[in-house]
Amino acid sequence: MSERENLIRKTSAAIEAFKSQRLRWVTGRSQVKVEIDEEKYRKVVDSIMRDEIERHMIIGAIKEKGPLTVEEISQLINLQPSRIMQHIIALRRNGVINEAGEKNRQYLYKLA
Amino acid sequence: MVKDIFEEEKKAEKEFEPLIVAYCCNWCSYAGADLAGTSRFEYPTNIRIIRIMCTGRVDPTFVLETLRMGADGVLIAGCHPGDCHYQKGNFMMEKRFDYIKKAVSSIGIEPERVRLEWVSASEGGKFAALVREVTNQIRELGPSPFRLMRNSK
Repeated sequence: MSERENLIRKTSAAIEAFKSQRLRWVTGRSQVKVEIDEEKYRKVVDSIMRDEIERHMIIGAIKEKGPLTVEEISQLINLQPSRIMQHIIALRRNGVINEAGEKNRQYLYKLA
Repeated sequence: MVKDIFEEEKKAEKEFEPLIVAYCCNWCSYAGADLAGTSRFEYPTNIRIIRIMCTGRVDPTFVLETLRMGADGVLIAGCHPGDCHYQKGNFMMEKRFDYIKKAVSSIGIEPERVRLEWVSASEGGKFAALVREVTNQIRELGPSPFRLMRNSK
């Protein structure tokens, strides 16, 4: 994957991530008092941000290329297959993606 | 509006001159920029000002989208903490800004390209000095990866 494609994909994913409800809830907080210390809160927000960007990269890849296997997604977005699998589980639970048959004894995933 | 700015730039582009998009709040920084103009302070023409009602209105997606469209830098200028016309708009921005910087560096763009500064309505001189400083900083950083991409098309 070229550097250019990577940058475009990452930026689009970051924009989509900031539009997502999950990230807006935590970054848009202004008056809600959170009963944990600020540093811990920031760490949580950072990990949510990272997750959301990666998830939107996966969604973007599927949107672009059609149904894909974990291995194909991994090659497209330069991410560990184990990490992709974690995101796939979360995305499937939230009803964002679905299985779409099999390819080379691996599940194909499509947008729901 | 942002799109028009980039179209204009595309036509006139020869050497590298940084293009900086500034989001200025209506009550302080925009008035500060206005004062800089009426006081005849000179500042680089690399900046394109977009007036917003409050820095609290600047969504992280605005900054990312501006960079994606080819801006070399983004400046967000608002009222000094405690002086916000809407009480807490600039505090909201200050918190959000940390996340914006992290997101920008995570996609592989230098976080120094994004700046948050406080300029009040009476600080025309400060505004001019700030624009000069930001322009020099961006000039040292060089063109943004998105601009390079656009030029090589």
